[in-house]
This record gives sequence, C-alpha cells and structure tokens, in this order.
Amino acid sequence: MVYVSNAIKVDIWSDVQCPWCYIGKRKFETAVAGFDGEVDVEYHSFELAPDTPVDFDGSPKDYLAQRKGISPDQVDQMLERVTGIAASVGLEYDYDHVHQTNTVKAHELIHYAKSKGRQLDMTERLLKAYFVDGRHVGRIEDLADLAAEIGLDRAEVVQVLTANTYLADVKADVAQAAEYGISGVPFFVFDEKYGVSGAQDPATFANVLAQVASEKAGAGQESTK
Amino acid sequence: MTDPITSPFTMVGDPTAAVCDGDFCEIPDHHEQAIINRRLDEDAV
Repeated sequence: MVYVSNAIKVDIWSDVQCPWCYIGKRKFETAVAGFDGEVDVEYHSFELAPDTPVDFDGSPKDYLAQRKGISPDQVDQMLERVTGIAASVGLEYDYDHVHQTNTVKAHELIHYAKSKGRQLDMTERLLKAYFVDGRHVGRIEDLADLAAEIGLDRAEVVQVLTANTYLADVKADVAQAAEYGISGVPFFVFDEKYGVSGAQDPATFANVLAQVASEKAGAGQESTK
Repeated sequence: MTDPITSPFTMVGDPTAAVCDGDFCEIPDHHEQAIINRRLDEDAV
C-alpha cells in the first residue's frame, strides 16, 4: 500500500531582509488560515545581496543611497510607502533601527532550524528581528541569541554557523532558484506545479490552494477507480 | 548567446505584484495607489 499525503506542499524562496517576503508571508498565512486543508510549508534560501558585508556600516537608507545612487529623500519616500503597506498587514516595520547586513548566516540558521523541526518559527523570528525589532541578523552571536529565544541550543548554533555546516544547503537552494528561473522573491511554488511571484493578495493564494486541492481530490478519485 | 530561462511552473496571480529583485525592492504603482486610498480613508475619519 502506498501512502499518499493530501497535504499541499508549498515551497517558498525568500530572503530575511526582503520587505515583500515578510508582507507576502502574512498574506499567504491569511490564505492558509482560511483554507480547509493541510498545507506543508518549506522555506528556501535566496540571497538578494550576497556581496553585502556582515558589518555594513549603515541602514537600508544608506545602502540604497550608496549602492543605487538614490537620493536620501527618495529613499525616505520608498521606505515610508513600504512601511505603510507592512502596517496594512499588521507588521510594524522600523526602518530607523534596521541593520543592513549579509544574510547568508541567517539562511544557514534557518536550515539548522529545519533539521530540528523549527524552520517556520526561526524564519518568523528572523524576519521580525530584522524589520520590527532592530536586531542584527548577520552576526553569529546575534543569530545564536535569536535561536535561543525560540528554544534552540545556543552553543550548538554557534558551532554549526562557525563551521559553515549548512552553507552547502543554502547554496543548493540558491542554485535551484536559478535553475527555476527565479530572479525575485518572495516566490511560492505550490505542489511543484504552480508558481506565484511576489506579495500577492490573500485571495490569489487562496485560489491556488483551492485549485491544487481540487486537482488532488480529482486524482484521488481517479486512482480508486 | 544563452537561452532565456523559462519557468517550469504554471504562473498564476498578478504579474506586477511586489517583489525584491536583486538588491532592490520595487513598489508597484497599484500599491502606491492603495496607500493613497488608505490615507484618504484615514483622513475621512
């Protein structure tokens, strides 16, 4: 007898310092909350700015001004708009205290958390730490503190991050994104069939969940004939 | 010349939804309009 799960698998490519990823996460979660079925979520690493130094001396405002040549006034307006959209889904972004950094270690931590069955909790904690709490998500000691806050073993986290234990997993996710042609995040893949790019409205996610559920139900009926 | 990468997935949803691409996160026009509408609503209150 072959066991076939009825859960809908959703693979999500995301970066810790991607404002639309956190907003999209909330919108996706709204859809899942209203969905009458099982959803199995797995996050995958995506590095938006892998060349950013861990100890970048500045805020996202400084980063955009330096790297993109955008005027401080324009950056202020952009961040104000993003902050407003975040607030509309219940997220209190605090760009005055965000630490722009390199996120590869944060992704390694998410993979470590996955090995402990805590990937979703770690992902949420890191996004909140970065956008809301003004915490640093690039340095090993700071990441270990955040891991400990959700009950993971702080010393073990320091050990695995120092040893780059999960770096290959991060790079494998990034490579798979490139293979799939994913250039922007968040990017959602439903049951390895449907792709959804960006912070879509909850109704879009709900419609895809319903579509996949309907197809699974149809396939189940076919297999019992 | 390399072939463009095509997605293996059936893409659904709004193709202009907000994404971060590279190290830059764009704000689609309709999101700006949504913010303006929200502010108008707040002002009305």
